Amino acid sequence: MSTKTLTWLLIVGGFALQAISYFFFGAPIGKPTGVQFSQPRVPFVGAFFILGVGMVFTAALVYEIRGGREDRGD
Amino acid sequence: MAQYIEQLPYEIGRPARTWRSRAGVLGAFVAVGLVAYILELTEGMGTTGLRNIGPMGGATWGLYITFVIYFVGTSFAGISVAALVRLFNIKALEPITRTAELLTVVTLMLAAMAIAADLGNPVRGILNLLIYARPQSPFFGTFTLVISGYLFASSVYLYLEMRRDAAICAGTPSKYQKLYRWLAAGYSDTPAERRRHRKAGLWLAVAIAPLLVTAHSTLGFVFGLQVGRPGWHSALQAPAFVILAGVSGVGLLAVMAWLFRNSLHERRLGDDVFGWLRNILGALLLIYLYFWVVDLVTALYQGDRAELTVTRAVLVGPYAWIYWASAACLIIPMLIIIVQKAKRSTAVAPLVVAGAMVQFAAIGKRFLIVVPSQTYGTLLPYGAGSYIPSWSEFAIAVGLIALGALMIGAYARVFPIIPLEDPRGSED
Repeated sequence: MSTKTLTWLLIVGGFALQAISYFFFGAPIGKPTGVQFSQPRVPFVGAFFILGVGMVFTAALVYEIRGGREDRGD
Repeated sequence: MAQYIEQLPYEIGRPARTWRSRAGVLGAFVAVGLVAYILELTEGMGTTGLRNIGPMGGATWGLYITFVIYFVGTSFAGISVAALVRLFNIKALEPITRTAELLTVVTLMLAAMAIAADLGNPVRGILNLLIYARPQSPFFGTFTLVISGYLFASSVYLYLEMRRDAAICAGTPSKYQKLYRWLAAGYSDTPAERRRHRKAGLWLAVAIAPLLVTAHSTLGFVFGLQVGRPGWHSALQAPAFVILAGVSGVGLLAVMAWLFRNSLHERRLGDDVFGWLRNILGALLLIYLYFWVVDLVTALYQGDRAELTVTRAVLVGPYAWIYWASAACLIIPMLIIIVQKAKRSTAVAPLVVAGAMVQFAAIGKRFLIVVPSQTYGTLLPYGAGSYIPSWSEFAIAVGLIALGALMIGAYARVFPIIPLEDPRGSED
């Protein structure tokens, strides 16, 4: 897989994971009418969201370090 | 290829007696803080001055949360300055970019440690946070997004900015040569790598800018969105948090730049660097003082009974000395900067005094945001409470500051704290 593809995969995947965690894995958004509004629908949703943030910024490492190796032909 | 140097700069790797003695003193403060923390872990939160709000007449958030906000706030300016230099190509501030980035990473680590101290049992707290946290909650934004996401992003930014200097230092025989090679990760400063780095740095700066504004605003929302806590509920909390974060961070950056200028005799840390810092600090101070006055006038003019009780406790009650001391530590630096601008003075010492003073103001103001609303801001019919931090809380707070100074000092002993000059300039 080329560095460019991997970089974009990390960026898009990271933002997608953040959005999915926020809107679909977390507690329902809306006027709280029951206990379900306080509980995330998927456990460890916080970790997923942070993983998404991490993936976006890991893309910079991949782009620069892996890409640099490709530039040098290593 | 990287331009190698004959000798490592800034006395890196060479014995320094003054550093050892300073590190020893800082290490002693860290050790006392660690003892206090172990005591808190084994004996429980009873060792602190923290007590339940209401029936126990105390405050559940105290000095630790004050310092969490202070550390996170200080981190704001670090990465902001670094990102601004990158986005707007401000050459004059380039020598302090690494100090700024390092300040961000170190203060975020200290903030995480302060949270761990406040949690009492950090393992249970952190595990529950991961299992049950709601990404929609301001608490999540503050204590998880800021500490983990923002810290990771800042570390990536710092590391990528370090690679070129690591490659240069790796060409010089030294005891850190292997470390430099590992950090450089194959970087050899070719035109293609430079272009790639510039592009990555620019996009990182673009990505970090909204993250840091969101992170610091969210910290303000933790307080500002609480309708049931007089003194906290205000639309100004979020922007005021961002601005005061900038004030404390830029002030600390001025102090650090002055310390490094004196200890490293670096000519690039000249008057233009301090001129920029003076202008930024002055502008942020003006905005913050405006926010402060607006907030105060609103509370006094149409605050309800509970709001007025908190405001009175802060203005003329038991917290008045902190309030007026913090006000003085903001107004005097503002006057110093105005006088310097009027006289067209480029003296660095007054700016450093101003930078140091705003640190006290930032800590005091954060204490005033956190504590009085808990001890005097209950809507239920409880009497006024009180909170006095215990010796262990002070020991942990001072220990954290000492740890931060130790980490920055140790970094400067191993790696160039000021980016190495590029003999080729910025051309490819």
